[in-house]
Amino acid sequence: MQRQDFSIGAILLHWVLAVSIFFLFVSSWWMLALPLPSAELRFREFPFQLHKNIGMTLVFLLLLLLYLRRKVRPSPELEAMPATMRRFVGIDHIALYVLIIACCLSGYLSSSYSGWGTTLWWAIELPNWGREDEDLNIFYSDVHLWTCWALLAFVGMHIAGALYHAFRNDGVVRRMLRL
Amino acid sequence: MAAEPTELERIARTSHSSSGPTWASALGAVIVVMGVLLTASHATEWMKHSVLTSVAPSGEVPAPSCPKDELEEEGLTVAECEYMVSRLQGLLASTPAWFPGLVGALSALGTLVAFATIFIGAALVSFRAWAPRAAAIALAALLLIDLGTFTAALNAGPIIRDVYLRDVLLWTAIHVILLAASMVGMHSMTREVWSARPTRAS
Repeated sequence: MQRQDFSIGAILLHWVLAVSIFFLFVSSWWMLALPLPSAELRFREFPFQLHKNIGMTLVFLLLLLLYLRRKVRPSPELEAMPATMRRFVGIDHIALYVLIIACCLSGYLSSSYSGWGTTLWWAIELPNWGREDEDLNIFYSDVHLWTCWALLAFVGMHIAGALYHAFRNDGVVRRMLRL
Repeated sequence: MAAEPTELERIARTSHSSSGPTWASALGAVIVVMGVLLTASHATEWMKHSVLTSVAPSGEVPAPSCPKDELEEEGLTVAECEYMVSRLQGLLASTPAWFPGLVGALSALGTLVAFATIFIGAALVSFRAWAPRAAAIALAALLLIDLGTFTAALNAGPIIRDVYLRDVLLWTAIHVILLAASMVGMHSMTREVWSARPTRAS
């Protein structure tokens, strides 16, 4: 049976994802300007591990969010909007989901082929997907970079759309800001 | 004579939908967006001070390591790689000893308050009675954190001023605007509630 409102769990997950995505962007701009690592230069160690941990966790959180929202109907206000706008909203949402997964997985693959190990939340040693391979590392690093920039652009559109509905006060954003 | 409208009827008439007025929806959504951005920004600042003070407690940065494969991977030149180290060395040398502890603590507090504003903004969109007052309190707290960071940077020398003051000034302006809007919302809501109450004469 379909429902009209998002569950509290889905709402919380949405906002945890939002904060995490922006934290990953803002912190990555800082950490990539830190000195390249060596045995003595260890400035990047903690920020990179944290970046990878949050990124990998995001994939699981997103899948959980998609599971929780599978039975939620689009809002009646959205259904009353012009077809072009509805199509645009659909494309934006699908692009967001695909890009979050692509961005996180390409980051993990890049790290995997770089030879640097990943310990999930400093507790679980994750296996590397392949041997150290500089070309694959650079390839996935580029995929990571461009999918993340694309993600930021779609997040920007998502926010613009949300603000448009909030300023119209048509009840669309209230579904994700229900308290 | 027609009966006085109730508070809810009055609120419903001021808005497109029946759940709350437009000002609350718009202000709440803007506070949520800013809350998300500021949580990320303060959390990064917090991490920055934690990492720098734990990895280089003496403020000394070892010599740069610039292997060719790493440079290729990151798209850097040798000069850029060396600059990363000298820049960090310069920043650490220009930072007074009291600065990381103070700004790190303000950032930690800012992260928590900014995260709380996401829920307060949501409550404003849902038009909870307590939301405008809570928004005003949280935004005043964020403004105090901005002013604390501003004062700290102001007294930390020209290099640190250059790094911090522009961003802090922008956030201060945003928080002043949102605080003023929340206070107007709070007062208009109080007026609506009071004017909706029946008087003794009626």
